[in-house]
Amino acid sequence: MRIWAIAGITFKEAKRDRILYLLFFFAAVAILASRVLAILTVGDRVKIIKDVGLASISIFGVLMAVLIGTSLVYKEIDKKTIFTLLSKPLHRAEFILGKFFGLVLTLLVMTAGMSLIFLVIVYLHTFRIEWTMLVAIAYIFLELVLVTAVAILFSSFSTPILSSIFSLAFYLIGHLSWGLELLIKKMSAGAGRTAAQFLYMFLPDLENFNFKTEVVHNLPIPAGIYLSSFLYGVFYTAFILALAVIIFRRRDFI
Amino acid sequence: MPRERAAARGPATLLLVLFLLGMCASFMALKAKTDTIVRKKVPGSSIIYIPSGKFLKYATFGYSALAADLIYLWAIQYYSTPTIDDRFDHLDHVFAIIADLDPAYLDPYETGALIATAEARDIKLAFKILDNGFAKNPKEWLLPFEAGHIAMMDLKDYDLARQYFEKCMNLPGAPDFTRRLYANALYKRGDLETSWQTWLEIYNTAPDERTKKIASNHLYQVKSAIDTNRLKDAVGKFQERAGRLPEELADLVRAGILDKLPQDLDGQDYVYDPKTGGVKAATSPWKR
Repeated sequence: MRIWAIAGITFKEAKRDRILYLLFFFAAVAILASRVLAILTVGDRVKIIKDVGLASISIFGVLMAVLIGTSLVYKEIDKKTIFTLLSKPLHRAEFILGKFFGLVLTLLVMTAGMSLIFLVIVYLHTFRIEWTMLVAIAYIFLELVLVTAVAILFSSFSTPILSSIFSLAFYLIGHLSWGLELLIKKMSAGAGRTAAQFLYMFLPDLENFNFKTEVVHNLPIPAGIYLSSFLYGVFYTAFILALAVIIFRRRDFI
Repeated sequence: MPRERAAARGPATLLLVLFLLGMCASFMALKAKTDTIVRKKVPGSSIIYIPSGKFLKYATFGYSALAADLIYLWAIQYYSTPTIDDRFDHLDHVFAIIADLDPAYLDPYETGALIATAEARDIKLAFKILDNGFAKNPKEWLLPFEAGHIAMMDLKDYDLARQYFEKCMNLPGAPDFTRRLYANALYKRGDLETSWQTWLEIYNTAPDERTKKIASNHLYQVKSAIDTNRLKDAVGKFQERAGRLPEELADLVRAGILDKLPQDLDGQDYVYDPKTGGVKAATSPWKR
């Protein structure tokens, strides 16, 4: 109950943040601009609209998660309101989880808004509702949930600027796991290879949530990957949140 | 004092606003002036130095399809600028990047091949682009179809056209006319027997009267070619033996060179010119 109370307050606070609306505005502009961009192509215009639309939802969603998430906990500490909160019968874990769910709810609303604009634009071109786009959007949202958890983790012990840098670095690392895979293939067996393999398994692989190309080209997606990607996202998020709770529990605010 | 400060603020604000407007007008005018100064540019230079698409794909952090779209849109504008004389120098590289970034994106293969054929006049490059696309999309009939079309119409290499049409006609979703194109390529290549068999199959399995008519006309054409070739050979043999051209085709039967005279698909006799020894069908296949 206390988690949801914190989540509700966080949601109300976040929706007053101007950055959110600024980013939403630019996302909407980017999605609408895809119609203009599509005019320049020779061939399938809808492909351009879908690619730009899905990329906009993803990029601006990540920016929202990082820019708002990295200041969530830090603001409370900076304004000293954390003392008021923690003096109540509120566990530190409940505080972190409440912040997390509050921001996730905010991102859900924003993602839904961006998706609606996107689907309307696609509908105006194809005159049918492209339900497969929702698959890509759902997994983009799952990626945003994970990035939110990371932003809150860094926010629990660092300043907003550093937290933003670390969170964006996490995002980039998550899309570069191919590099480690290539490296492992070229390495000979030994401690180095084992270490690389451990890193490869441990570091995030955000490509697991990337179905943009498949849905745009109507390529078949193996049924098993839906569940395994979903569970990967859930467990990794839980891991990050657990880490955030551990760090926050040990934190001294004086 | 506060009233005096408030009174002083009014003119100061006005001055500030005027200054702002003045600066705005100045920089806009300066921009207009600067734009008139001609600066040397190397068009497309940025894209030329983009590394291979294979590695660029990973540097796009999951947005490779978007990157492919943007480069494709750029390429369309770039290649439609006639004032850039050397714009075709890196045509291969640009479309290879797009293919690596988004292999399933079919439009760039077709457009790249079109630019290579129609503008760069590099037909080998067109085939390279389409073959690359087909290697990445082995179930897409459109790509070998385009290649077959280029082989047939631009290169006049009917054997190559036959190979491409044979590939595409067996792919899922390939329209019926691809089989007809294959049969026609066989005819143009000179493989009349196989062409006949294929047209016959098309005729027997035709889904509508129009297709049946088309197949019938082509069967007429193929049979005419087979028969006129045979008759020309026979005329040549007659001339070798008799030292002159036959007066009429019946002479070939009387001379024992042929058992009987072939007739066209409509049962008509072939037309013989005793002055030249030429043989042709009684009518055009398309005017039956």
